[in-house]
Amino acid sequence: MTRDELIKAAYDAVCAYEEEKALEIAHQSVEAGIAESDMLGEGYGAGIRHLGDLFERGEVFLPELVVASEIMQNVAAYYESRMTQKPKRPGKIVLSTVEGDVHDIGKGIVAAMMKSQGYEIIDLGRDRSAADIVAAAVDNGADFIGTSALLTTTMPEQKKIEAIMKKEGLKGKIKTIVGGAPITQRWADRIHADIYAEDANAAIHKVAAMMSA
Amino acid sequence: MAEEKKYFTRYGDGYSTYMTKDEIKKDVERGVEDAASRGKIDPLTEAEKSYIVDIITMPAKMASVEPGKEVVLSSDEGTLKASVRCGVSIDRTTAVAVEERILCMDSAELAHIDYSYKPIKPIIFDEVCAMQHAELNSIIPLFYGAMPNLGLYTKPDGPYDNWAELLPAGKVAEAREAQEKAAEQAAKDIVSVADHMVEAGADALNMDTVGASGDADALAAFTAMKEIHRKYPDFPVEMGMAGEFFLGMHGKLTFEGEQLAGMYPHEQVKIAEKAGATIFGPTINTNSSETFAWNLARTCTFIKACSEESTIPIHPNVGMGVCSMCLTDSVPLDAASRADKAIVEIGRADGL
Repeated sequence: MTRDELIKAAYDAVCAYEEEKALEIAHQSVEAGIAESDMLGEGYGAGIRHLGDLFERGEVFLPELVVASEIMQNVAAYYESRMTQKPKRPGKIVLSTVEGDVHDIGKGIVAAMMKSQGYEIIDLGRDRSAADIVAAAVDNGADFIGTSALLTTTMPEQKKIEAIMKKEGLKGKIKTIVGGAPITQRWADRIHADIYAEDANAAIHKVAAMMSA
Repeated sequence: MAEEKKYFTRYGDGYSTYMTKDEIKKDVERGVEDAASRGKIDPLTEAEKSYIVDIITMPAKMASVEPGKEVVLSSDEGTLKASVRCGVSIDRTTAVAVEERILCMDSAELAHIDYSYKPIKPIIFDEVCAMQHAELNSIIPLFYGAMPNLGLYTKPDGPYDNWAELLPAGKVAEAREAQEKAAEQAAKDIVSVADHMVEAGADALNMDTVGASGDADALAAFTAMKEIHRKYPDFPVEMGMAGEFFLGMHGKLTFEGEQLAGMYPHEQVKIAEKAGATIFGPTINTNSSETFAWNLARTCTFIKACSEESTIPIHPNVGMGVCSMCLTDSVPLDAASRADKAIVEIGRADGL
């Protein structure tokens, strides 16, 4: 198969949840000398992003996304096993819902989707204080803090995180991602968060863009 | 050249803005297209889209339907709104009286602050007394309402593992099993509360925010609905939804042979009918980043399709953050009244 055919086959394998086929295509791409970054980004990763779009429309369900994510992780592990030097993970992200907010479904979806893209996820769960979230990010050497607030009454917790980050000189060193139903770009701008993500797919795109900037 | 006139309107988060008629028309068009594409339903007609623009741009602060076209109102979580939301220290029976005699509501709902069937079960005898007392002091139909709230069946609040944590960890089979067990238990709890409320003389039951924890949450509600209808065929039950489609946290659950995950309102209502529901409450998510025009057009498209499919009355949920209502603690009157008018006149809702 040509490069384009292999990339298309990788995309199709992820979208059809076919792990064996996905690994076979990965093997063929190595034989053909195609860069794994092209295969992961334009093939397998593009497939995951397509499934993310369908999930957001209610046409694909979370267990299927999880299966696709695992395929992607196993393919990435296969590529890694063939390298003499272990590749650097794209980033480390601390995730949590903010204090007072137990709505963790959206945060779980972001965790699954970001994992599929190779990010290391430190999932703090739900209802964690601003201080705890920032401390976890510092302790783990995270690149990003992602928080979700579903309620208008818990949104100010995201502002508290920004205040702690500023006070401790962490702004710019650790980037912040904010999301949740009442959250908007206007809110992110107002509290000086680095990224506003409307959904898991937006989070993937925006974090990747910031990492490559 | 004179600047084009701009109209006061809002974003989904309530943020105020001014838009030209042309900008509003474009957003109405986009909203209709989005709903039609997602729900695989018919778009609104040109006349209906134009009417939404008229409603949004009408000069009055508050919009209303014409006399004679009013619809009945049901109120979820009603008795908690004065005390919990507004901080007015009144008991629940007084709250029912306020709804009946001051707000002139068509019906009221007695609810406990926990507002979920699971925590109500152990205090059901207190709730029975509260219902009897409220019934003796009111005339309007009185619902008893709560949420299936499947999340409360997960650790540490309940006995089952949390599927929202199992799934990101790749434990799909375990996550599905936990949801199936939780749905089974939740259905029993809802029926148990219904049994006591029938005995207490409640006029109706409300299952509110159905599907909040995904398709298993919806399964619990429909299973309970079917059993309640079997036991008490004349006891009315309203089912209000949590969001515009059932999130597939399980993905394979079915009710009466139909897959629940991914169902939109025009499909949900058919399942509610099969289960025996009396009133169906469709819900359309408000997107806080989009304009009121986009959200309202989208809402009307979904609600009209649901209304056309339904053989039972539909009462769309028009509270904070749904059915184009802004995500603000106090919903602004200009947006709320315009949404109500459009949902009744274009969406053809039977009640709100």
